[in-house]
Amino acid sequence: MKLDLGISSSSLLSEAIQFSKLAERGSLNCIWIREDLNAQQEIFTVASIILQEPSRVRVGIEVTSPLDRNISTIARAAATLSQMGRGRFRLGLDAVRPNALMRDAATLLRRIWRGETVTFTSDRFRLSNYYARYKAGFATPIYFGVRDTKLLALAGEIADGVILSGPKRYIEKAVAIVDQGLGKRKRRRKSFRFVAWVPTVIVDKKPDLHLARGAVATVLADTPKAVLEMADIAQERVEPIRAMMAEKGVNGASRIVAEDLLQQVAICGSPEEVALDLRSLEKYGIDEVIFGPPHGRKPDRAIEEMVQAWKRLT
Amino acid sequence: MEKANIDFAIGLNAYETVEEIVDKCVEAERLGLDYVWIGDSPPHLYCPSVAAAVASRTEKIRIGLGLLSPLLHTPDQISGSIIPLIEAYGDRFEICLGVGDRSQLSRVGLDTKLAEVWIHVLKAKQKIARILRAGGVATKIWLGAQGAMMLAASKSFDGVLMNYASPMMIKWAIDKVKPVSRKDFDFGIYAPAYVYRTWRPQAYRLLRIASAVVALGAPEAVLDEFGFSKRLGRALEEHEARLRIESVVKHVPAEVVDSFSIYTPSSKLSSYLRDLGDLGVSHIVFGFPQNLSKVTIRDLASALPNL
Repeated sequence: MKLDLGISSSSLLSEAIQFSKLAERGSLNCIWIREDLNAQQEIFTVASIILQEPSRVRVGIEVTSPLDRNISTIARAAATLSQMGRGRFRLGLDAVRPNALMRDAATLLRRIWRGETVTFTSDRFRLSNYYARYKAGFATPIYFGVRDTKLLALAGEIADGVILSGPKRYIEKAVAIVDQGLGKRKRRRKSFRFVAWVPTVIVDKKPDLHLARGAVATVLADTPKAVLEMADIAQERVEPIRAMMAEKGVNGASRIVAEDLLQQVAICGSPEEVALDLRSLEKYGIDEVIFGPPHGRKPDRAIEEMVQAWKRLT
Repeated sequence: MEKANIDFAIGLNAYETVEEIVDKCVEAERLGLDYVWIGDSPPHLYCPSVAAAVASRTEKIRIGLGLLSPLLHTPDQISGSIIPLIEAYGDRFEICLGVGDRSQLSRVGLDTKLAEVWIHVLKAKQKIARILRAGGVATKIWLGAQGAMMLAASKSFDGVLMNYASPMMIKWAIDKVKPVSRKDFDFGIYAPAYVYRTWRPQAYRLLRIASAVVALGAPEAVLDEFGFSKRLGRALEEHEARLRIESVVKHVPAEVVDSFSIYTPSSKLSSYLRDLGDLGVSHIVFGFPQNLSKVTIRDLASALPNL
């Protein structure tokens, strides 16, 4: 099982570069950048700058929507990053349904990267005699960052990996659904990667738990009903958090996150406890776990401590 | 002519590998060119990422991004590229906005025939400038323009990069922009170019293609103004039918190629530059195929004054 590092595209660039150096020093597997649509920094550009750092660490985008950019733009941005990273780049895709859109997006990207002349029309995509003049050079693995059950199965069917985020019980069930999709392939892909992204916080002192509760409130407020059901979390328990989030923001909402929800949704504690908890996801079939954000009160220190704890454990 | 009067740039179409593009930019910096412009078009590599790679391997050469089409990139995405680039590599980036290559945009489902497309570009500029100002970033924003309406709209930008090469056409374009009240407004041109010491047939063939693309993408009114419409009739029809440009180009007459490109032996470049300087042009981007190899870039540099 590999340890990855998660950051947001709204992180300070200097911080993101510092984290990438820590990841390299700690021999981590991948840095995943989550797209924050309110961020002032464009995610492909941030990823490009990180890829310029001398490193062996992979860099992934988790996730961009095929609805936010023209599909040809996603194709060429990903191809450029794959070239720059000499195969170290991973592309995460997400869209809120329908199934056909994600299937089309993945198929079109691969056709473009293969150098085909593509003509295709659907509700969302319109390409006419389009072909890339660049050569992709390096393969770009496509990861689906999805939560809908049909899309999870589709990920197993056609993606190179899946990024699962949500309560731990949900992740366990989601793996099984992705597995069903994998079963539909003619040849089972051994290289398919299951990645789990759960909010993780190193807790030094009790007040640090506030960070974890904030992350949990943010995640729950955005979690669809179906995911909550899969996680056995009653909708009524989340409604007050959503309401408080809308009224008083993260700080207000974090105050009403109950202990059992904190334990279900986040992984927090000492570096050893967090490492053990993350490691426990392996039994569900997870290949990689993403640490953070918010990492801890002092993220750089938290990352270093986490790396050490992970090494001791393995 | 004083070097200080005109900035010289090489334009790079990003369809080579990132490594090849970076190598050429390193060479352009070594030769003393002022700028590299990294193109952005649906069939090319992603310009902001290539710019990051170029910036990380160069120290002082200014880097232009564009032409960036607001039909392809939102203002947030464009400003969101510039802000981290400047933070990582310093204040040496500029952008050029414009509608973009209509033929290429239509291939990826974007309609450029909208009458209000220039307003869309103008609004994008205003939003980008606002976001950059709020982020404490002062980046020069050029407009890439060819038709009369876009040329007139360029007054709202920091400069205009005109898609023309012949002094007669440049003068016509400048007249469409003037009067400009701002003293810091720059007139520039961005044209297919082949300045050579030793003539190479491959480079000339590519120049013909690049010039044909510019001519065939020009607004009808411009082609009418300079009497090109009839001469380009068959080429325009085939281009409209989205046939490969390599087959369309044989119907583009040589004089059209000459009008839309900088095509001269290096020994004669200085008189052309003097003409442009007299017209008030202060920024020249030598476009494809001048970037064909480090040799063609060196040929250009050897012909430029005081490099």
